[in-house]
Amino acid sequence: MAAQLVSKSERAYIQASLQATPPLRGDGRGLLDFRTVLLETGVAPLANGSAKLNIGKMPHEGGGGTEVLAATKLEVEDVESGDGVDGGRVVCSVSWCAIRSIQLEPIVQLTKDSSPSAYPHLSSNALDELQYDLTVILQQTIGHPSLHPQNLTIIPRKKSWLLNLDAVILADAGNAVDALFMAARAALWDTKVPRTRAVEYQAPEDSQTTRDSASAMDVDNREAIPTASGFDTREMARTAADFELPDYWDEGEVLHGRERWPVCITLNLLPPSHFLDATPPEEASVPLRMHLMYSFASPSTPKLQSMRLLGPGELNSAQIKSYISEGEKYARELFNALESKLREEDVRRNVKARDRFAQR
Amino acid sequence: MAQSNFDRRRINGPEESYQPIFEPDEEVDSRWKPGSPRKGRAARDIRPIFLQAGLINQANGSAYIETEKTKIACAVYGPRQSKTTVYNEKGRLNVEVKFTPFSCTRRRVPIRDAEDRSVAVQIQQALTSAVRLELLPKSTIDIFVTIIENDGIEGCIAAGSVAASVALADAGIEMLGLVASCSTAVVGEEIWMDPTEQEGHIASGSLVYAEQAVKCMEACQECCTDIHAVMAQALLETAQNT
Repeated sequence: MAAQLVSKSERAYIQASLQATPPLRGDGRGLLDFRTVLLETGVAPLANGSAKLNIGKMPHEGGGGTEVLAATKLEVEDVESGDGVDGGRVVCSVSWCAIRSIQLEPIVQLTKDSSPSAYPHLSSNALDELQYDLTVILQQTIGHPSLHPQNLTIIPRKKSWLLNLDAVILADAGNAVDALFMAARAALWDTKVPRTRAVEYQAPEDSQTTRDSASAMDVDNREAIPTASGFDTREMARTAADFELPDYWDEGEVLHGRERWPVCITLNLLPPSHFLDATPPEEASVPLRMHLMYSFASPSTPKLQSMRLLGPGELNSAQIKSYISEGEKYARELFNALESKLREEDVRRNVKARDRFAQR
Repeated sequence: MAQSNFDRRRINGPEESYQPIFEPDEEVDSRWKPGSPRKGRAARDIRPIFLQAGLINQANGSAYIETEKTKIACAVYGPRQSKTTVYNEKGRLNVEVKFTPFSCTRRRVPIRDAEDRSVAVQIQQALTSAVRLELLPKSTIDIFVTIIENDGIEGCIAAGSVAASVALADAGIEMLGLVASCSTAVVGEEIWMDPTEQEGHIASGSLVYAEQAVKCMEACQECCTDIHAVMAQALLETAQNT
């Protein structure tokens, strides 16, 4: 996203080699080849869900590549007096970590003087603007009502969950938007919503009943109904005033609708060709970039969640249509790869961990 | 418990304020039901546009656009010398958008935030390819868009780009063409052009398929030719009056 300074001759050189036959890229990849993607979930134990993603890490040098860390955190919000919305809401933000000096102070701080490790060449104003841009792209796609998960209500019309999705860009070596969306999807996949139970408080009665007096009385012995239903005529659903966690150590249930979260594919457009997964010099040499966010909830009908064009180039509508259909193919491959990796991570963390514990 | 005021440059009102409750003039809108037709106009009609150029004398070029409840003023200063010492062979287009505090239903803080920036980025994206920046090396064109009343954020972006384009033409900056834009929403099964804020909220509930996105784009294209005619007419009238 942040344009690296590239001279005219360098730009012409990169464009000429991409348009040659056969097309040549700096690291020898094909036009549609992605760099190696490394994904790990559950990296932040205090968060409700987290993932760390790295595109293009070089195994020999032990570093490099675009690295993004995404984590979700759930907060309780009051619907009536606070900012909460009945049904919960999702807020995304993108930032980066700043490292003052690597040798002496390994403390990570976020100050205006130090430049973030990801974008050392940008001023603080340009950084703020880049932060806004990335946040808006993520927020508008993920916060869209069609992707809203159902189980973010605690007590209907009183309390709901606020899902904070925070992404930190640790290093940017091109294709940060794809990395952001993949990490966000993995973190949301990994998110567990704590189970809650609605509780009603009743003052002790003066009558001679043998009921337990004083504070809390469990109204609902099952878990609280996650969604508010208009057909619910039970009194307790309306008078429940507070909630409790029945099991403190239980991580909870998974976030509903997790198969719907979108993946993003960035097509770098250099008419007549296009390519994927650009490195920073390639990103700076291309006049137009198209971000396509696809959701593959049902494998047969993909949904185009959002589309963005960035850059000073121009397109006509016939080209847009063809790019949308091509982008869908690439997105599907990316989605399948991500899916299989996420399921593998699930297995590694839950099933294998249990087996290892049983065998100890 | 009084919180410290973060904005020292302005006279702050009370910390908490509530909208006054008064008798509604028209009937309370009943909930829109899926399948019912649009209120007030046809599905493919856009709101009527009032567009006039040359209202701000101090600026090199200006335009004011009003479509029912969306009111936007745009001023263009430029081309003027770039303040940076870095040589850029193509001119720079700098778009700044400001929402007035009274423009939305809930008062907006006058401090720049992410929504200002996202509207500015969209408008800049629309205009960059149309302005002949290669004729203006070392220069910057500043476009200031002020949103006086906001009825739907997509409508604001569309009207803002139309106003900015007319203002650029009014300033005499060379362009490849006028930029017309409009927005659509998919409500239920239909495509509604130029949604208001209320319609935008209903529309958000629907899903977007790829072919629907393409159909929306085609509908926009047809509308844009009409909007282009309106823009050209407004510029012609201003040129004839001066």
